[in-house]
Order: sequence, then structure tokens, then C-alpha cells
Amino acid sequence: MSKILVVDDSSTVRDEVAGFLRKNGLDVETAVDGKDGLLKMKSSPGIKLVVSDVNMPNMDGLTMAEKIRGELVNTTVNIIMLTTESSPAMKERGKAAGVKGWIVKPFKGDAVLEAFRKLAS
Amino acid sequence: MISSNAQTSIEGILLKAARSRLPQQPDDACEIVPLAHAYDSARPEANVIILTISSILFRLLLVFHFDDDASTREYFSKKTGDVPLQDMLLEICNLCCGAVNQDLLPYFQDLGMSTPYVLSARCLPYLEGLKPDYLSSYAITINGSVKLAATVCVCAHAPIDFVADMTAVEETSGELELF
Amino acid sequence: MIEQYLLAALAGVVATAILALLLHKLHGARTLARLQSEMNDRIKTLMETNAQQSGLIDQGEQKIQQLESSIAQLDDDLARQLKIAGEDRAALAAAVEDKENLLDQARRIAGEASRLKSLAATFERWHEQMISLMTQNQDMHAKNHELSSIVKHVVIVSLNASIEAARAGNAGRGFAVVAGEVRALAARSEELSRSYRDSLHRNDLTTTATFQDIQAGGKMITASLGSVEVLADQFQVRLH
Repeated sequence: MSKILVVDDSSTVRDEVAGFLRKNGLDVETAVDGKDGLLKMKSSPGIKLVVSDVNMPNMDGLTMAEKIRGELVNTTVNIIMLTTESSPAMKERGKAAGVKGWIVKPFKGDAVLEAFRKLAS
Repeated sequence: MISSNAQTSIEGILLKAARSRLPQQPDDACEIVPLAHAYDSARPEANVIILTISSILFRLLLVFHFDDDASTREYFSKKTGDVPLQDMLLEICNLCCGAVNQDLLPYFQDLGMSTPYVLSARCLPYLEGLKPDYLSSYAITINGSVKLAATVCVCAHAPIDFVADMTAVEETSGELELF
Repeated sequence: MIEQYLLAALAGVVATAILALLLHKLHGARTLARLQSEMNDRIKTLMETNAQQSGLIDQGEQKIQQLESSIAQLDDDLARQLKIAGEDRAALAAAVEDKENLLDQARRIAGEASRLKSLAATFERWHEQMISLMTQNQDMHAKNHELSSIVKHVVIVSLNASIEAARAGNAGRGFAVVAGEVRALAARSEELSRSYRDSLHRNDLTTTATFQDIQAGGKMITASLGSVEVLADQFQVRLH
């Protein structure tokens, strides 16, 4: 049962992040945009942590987060945004949507591995 | 409509973003030289990657040109995984544009950034058709062998004047900020 | 003899009596004087006390007058305070009503901001349409490219036709003319195709730039609305 869901429309990022986490012994699933992310959340109830980009086609990451908390009535899964966006307005919207943390790209695996482990347990 | 201070600032921000996001290793050499024209007629079949940053006052287009040659492919392909080169390049340009976005934020509060798109290099001469207030190109060489180019094209809807603080501290990207 | 004794004794008694009387009177006078003096003292004391008491009474009366005027003042003040309190109560009631109105407006602003955020869905729709438009552009590029290669082929065919016509000598002269015209037409088509390709590239750039502007602009608006919503929510909490 997968513990972490990585959502990004760039296959480069999915590969980089999921690859790094898998190398460190974590169970990872991936999705290509917000809509796909919601589908994966519905079909895999064991997901404890979602790591998602903001800017994606079909449904952006913050809308997906809002729907996870709202339509899917899931208030326990931890959601972290991994994005080039850094504006305070965006972060506020994230906070209001129930997002737990924010990472500005580029992804530096070593800096966040421990935190991810904790959030996914 | 774009003051010379603003032009210098935009150039500074772009070069800083290019230097921090294009080289794949922190110690790789990165040389940047201004170019007279965006379009290099010697490489008409090349592709370019284009992104837009929009604000209430302006729109800024960033165009990145990559050679589809062995040294570029070798430099940018990751050893592990079979991600297509173009996907890698799209993400790298996304990161570079993201860095420009972050550095512009202190001066223009609400900014939006588009997702990247691939176009033929033959589209470049038509950048002038957008009637830009500032258009500038740069040749970028990494490690002496990987040749790229970047063009910035800004169309202003109102007078723009600002001075960027180029002494700003290195960004805290990659760190997890918990809410 | 006894008569002398009796007279002496009587004289003595009378003398004593007179002395006693005199002493008594003197004593009495002294006592009287003393009493009188004491009485005078007492009268003086009483009169002083009386004067003091009068003074005190005067002071008292003055104080009473002051107090009465103070009371009158306080009555005025109280009346004024009551009036102000009445106005304050009215103002408070008005402020409470204002607050209710503000709360209502804050709720509506938050609601509007929340509703406008769904604009993001509109921008997504345009993004899909842009992809579709760019795909059509790709299609036009491909068709133009095919046309261009057909035209190139026609040029080659017409060149070959000219060669064959020359070989046929006089009989091929008419054919040579036709071949020449076909080549001229092909050249014009080639020129047109190149020009069309350039138009497509200009179209690509303008379309991409416009849609990226819409996409980025949409995110800018959604971000601003997000801040507005947060502010409106905070405002609502404060008013509660």
C-alpha cells in the first residue's frame, strides 16, 4: 500500500522526486495533474503524504488540495506543495486549503527526507 | 515606457536566475554574453521553449534556445531514468522562470506564471510583432561546450521603473516551510 | 462684778459678733467678689463660646449655602450626564447595527471572493482550447510541409519535362512551353508555401504568447482573490 503520492505534470520532476524517495525505502505513487491526483487518492486509501506541484493543467495543486479536504472529506493526509511559486498570497491560499508545508523548487532530497518520513508515517 | 533602471534590473534578475538554475552542478562554469539578435539564422530547425510571466503592469516572455546536439543531450540527460530530454529541458526552463518570478515578486505584488511551451525557432523574428518595450538576448555557454541562448521580451501596459536589490541573499529554495 | 463680767462678755460677744459679722461680710464680700469674678469669667467664657458658636454657625450656614449650590451644580451635571448617556446608548445601538451590516458585507465579500476563485476553472478551459488550437496549427504546418514537398516534386517533374521536350526537338516545342509555365506556377506555389509557413510561425508565436498571458494572468487574479478571501475571513473573525 503506497504511503506517498507525488503529483506533477513534469515527468522529470515525478522521476526525480519519486526516484529519490523510493531509493530511500519509501512507497511512492505518482499522478500527472490535479484530476489524476484525486483519482489516486480515492483508489489508494493508504496514502499518508501528498507532495504536489501547484501549476498543472486540468486541475492545479491548490484546487486538488481543497477538494481532498472537501469532497474527499480527508483531513488526515498531509499535503506538501513543491513548486516554483513563492508568493505570500499563494502560501496563504495553501494554508487556507489545509496544506501543511511549502517547498520552493528545485527539490533538494537530503534536506527534506527526514521530514517526509515523519509526515508519511 | 520601461526605464533604464528597470531594464538593468530585469537583465540582472534574468542573468542571476540563469546562473543559478541552468547549470546542473553548482560548480559548472557559466558564461553569459549579450547577443545582438534573438534569432540565429544558422540554426533555423532548432526548437525554443517559451514561458510568460504576467502582472497587471506588464507581460514578460522568456525564450530559451537549446541546441539539439550531443553535448547538450549529454549534459542535460540524467544518468538514471529514461525521461525524454525535452521534458528535462521544459522543467529546467520552468525552474529558471520560477527564479525570475520570485525575484520580481518584491517589486510587483501579484504575478502569475504560465507553463512552458515548445515552439520552432523560426517564430523568434515575430517577437518584434508583439511591440515589446524591452527585448534583449544572451548567449550562454556552460562548461565551455554546452551552448544555449536566452531572450527576454517585455511588453509594458504602464510605465515601469524599479531598481532591483541584486545584493539579495541566496534563496532558501529546497527547504520545507511548515505552516 | 458679774455685771462687769456680763458686760465684758457681752461686749466681747458683741465684738466677736461684730468681728464675725465683719469677717463674714468681708468673707462674703470676698466670696462674692470671687463668685462674681468667677461668674464674670464664666460669663466671659460663655460669651466667647457663644461667639465661637456663632462663628461656627455662620461657617455652617456658609457651608450649607455652598453645599446647596454644589447640589444645584450636581443636579445640572447629572441632567447633562443623563442626556449624554441617552445619546451614547443611541450611538451604541447605531454602532451595533453598523457592525451587523459590516459583518454582513464581510460575509458577502468572502463569498464573492470564494465564488470568483472558481474562475480558475475558466482558465483551465481556455488552456485546453489553446492546446487544441496549437494542435490544429501543427496540423497546418504538416499540411503545408506536404504541399511544399509536392511543389518541389512538381518543379522536378517540370524540369524533366523540359529536358524531354528539348530532346523531342520541334515536336516538343509546345510541350516545352507548357513545361515552362508549370515550372513558373510551381515557383509561385513554392513562394506562397514559404510565405504561408512564415505566417504559421507568426501565428504560433502570437497564439502562444496570448494564451500564456491568459494562463499567467489567470493565476495572478486567482492569487489576488485568495488574499482577498483570507483578509475578508480575518475581518469576519474580528467583527465577531
